[in-house]
Amino acid sequence: MGHHIIKEVSQEKFVFTGRAKMVAIGLFLIGAILAGVGAMDVKNNWDSIGQHATEDVHTEEAAEAHEDAGHNDHHATLADANPHAEDGHTETAHGEEAHGDHHAPTWMNRVWANLLMNSYYFWLFSVAAIFFIAVNYVANAGWAVMLKRVMEAQSAYLLIGSILLVGIILGAKDTLYHWVQYFHSAAAGDESAAGYDAILESKAWLLNNTSIFFFIPFVLIVWILIRMKLRRNSVAEDENKGLSMFKNSTRWSAGFIFFFAFSFSALSWLIIMSIDAHWYSTMFSVYNFAISFVTGLSVMMVIVQYLKAKGYMEMVSDEVVHDLGKFMFAFCIFWGYIFLSQWLLIWYTNLPEETVYFAARLEGGYKTLFAVNIFMCFLAPFLVLMMRNAKRSPKVLLTAAAVILIGHWVDTYLLIMPGTVGDKAGIGMLEIGTTMAFAGIFIYVVLNSLSKANMYPINHPYVLESANHDVGP
Amino acid sequence: MIDKSILLDDKKFTVGIFDDSDKLLHAVGTLKKKGVKIFDCYTPFPVHHLDKALGYERTNITIGAFLCGMLGSLTGFTLAYSMNVVDWPMIIGGKPQDISVFTSFIPVIFELTILFTAFGMVILFFARSRMIHGIKEDLLSRRQTDDHMVIAIDNAESQDLSNSEIQSLLTSEGAIEVDGARESFNTSLTDEENLVQKLMTQ
Repeated sequence: MGHHIIKEVSQEKFVFTGRAKMVAIGLFLIGAILAGVGAMDVKNNWDSIGQHATEDVHTEEAAEAHEDAGHNDHHATLADANPHAEDGHTETAHGEEAHGDHHAPTWMNRVWANLLMNSYYFWLFSVAAIFFIAVNYVANAGWAVMLKRVMEAQSAYLLIGSILLVGIILGAKDTLYHWVQYFHSAAAGDESAAGYDAILESKAWLLNNTSIFFFIPFVLIVWILIRMKLRRNSVAEDENKGLSMFKNSTRWSAGFIFFFAFSFSALSWLIIMSIDAHWYSTMFSVYNFAISFVTGLSVMMVIVQYLKAKGYMEMVSDEVVHDLGKFMFAFCIFWGYIFLSQWLLIWYTNLPEETVYFAARLEGGYKTLFAVNIFMCFLAPFLVLMMRNAKRSPKVLLTAAAVILIGHWVDTYLLIMPGTVGDKAGIGMLEIGTTMAFAGIFIYVVLNSLSKANMYPINHPYVLESANHDVGP
Repeated sequence: MIDKSILLDDKKFTVGIFDDSDKLLHAVGTLKKKGVKIFDCYTPFPVHHLDKALGYERTNITIGAFLCGMLGSLTGFTLAYSMNVVDWPMIIGGKPQDISVFTSFIPVIFELTILFTAFGMVILFFARSRMIHGIKEDLLSRRQTDDHMVIAIDNAESQDLSNSEIQSLLTSEGAIEVDGARESFNTSLTDEENLVQKLMTQ
């Protein structure tokens, strides 16, 4: 028969070695130094970036042409027929020249945009992890219980990630969000003023200081508290048997998912979509969720493979890893589906106020990244992870996870950069250094949290189901 | 009527009939360990790990599914392209009539991929398992389609153990019924007709 049934899970504990600590801290330091050097480089060469390349001349022309084409439709909706400022060329098509005091991007734009992008990117991993824990409780799922501590460790980054994210949003809001600039300007609220912007005025109920200063921190605090509750329950479960912790966690998880659905949507609007404040898409929050979940699963896969390579998690069979691979595969398709749903409708309808978003991403330097994004986030993982053998091979899984993670790094880049830095954006020392620094923090926090508790939730009612999990032929 | 060629009328089988899938699985393992060559197992529902226990290899039908899907994608693209670009170009929403409207082909490609994969899999599966419409299955036990599971060992095959040893092994593994020389009967006939037919041939 050859099928051995596990009746007891042998406990183990992850040791966060000094070497691993050094790697994480080293990554942070090198990243920070690189980012600092890169930032100085960007500052000193700011005027020449994006000016000398012939391609960018086309970009400006195209952007200008687009603005002219979209001019009538777009500005007809504005209450005030204000002739737009002629200096609005350095930024790609946004229609943001509509208001009077126009801010050309400075080198600080690129630094802040880059910080926002990376803090958001790594924060999404922890959001996905806590969502995954909650979903497993609510769905009564058993297969992933052996990986629960990995998810918990990954969600440990939620606290520090949220602090970094909120800090960066507060620091960057005057630079990055043009609606903040607008509401600070004299034209805000004054219909007769030259730069009056009816679209932004109509969104003032959401895009205001209360949202930034109170709503975002409130949501994050609720998430962090629920995460703490789930983690405490999980650790306490190791000491006492019984279903009380499980039932309690299930209740908290159900509440979390209900709250999460609304609050995550609102956060994605406030943090990312409001960069292009004139534009909106109803798919946007789902799109962000898709990024979050698929990257979270890929990170989980990397951590599991790391632990397996280090000799931990012997009890986690290929079957569980296989199912995690299936999840990655499924959510690559999900991302592709959501991407298409957003793109297809905007492309078909061809309304200027909607197409500005993609127009900015299909011109100039972003065009290549746009194609790379679709290839790395959907096509490549879709074709590779489709095979059963691929999902049972650690090397292929790790490669796929790396491709997905880099692809969604580009994805996040494309979410933020066109609206904040325009054609002066680029991937250089600054961007790579910042990512390394954030990765250092993330690795340290996650591994540190992993070493704080036992590897397996040994008294979880489904732990043996997970240990004996079988995906079938 | 089409005869299914897996069970031939003149073959005689040593059968063990079980009412528990775990016992069946254990029995298969024990028989394999003793070097008994098992012809096949018949169960009313899929028993987990039975394919591994019997030493069957994983099916390659998934490759067929992929090829069907590719065929569907290609058909979808050809269909949309030939209609919208080559055969009868139409201006829809002011869009150009060339390959740059690939986005609008995607739903067609997607749907036909699904359709071809689904139909292709059904056809391939039925062809591979020889389940042709109208076939009357040869059974070794009438309840093998209900709640009993059958291990069949071909008597014509040379075995390390004698027939009586195999039978006692099956009994010790928990078989509720053991038969040393059973012939298949056809489900198109009732029990009485089968009996009459058997008596007439003797």
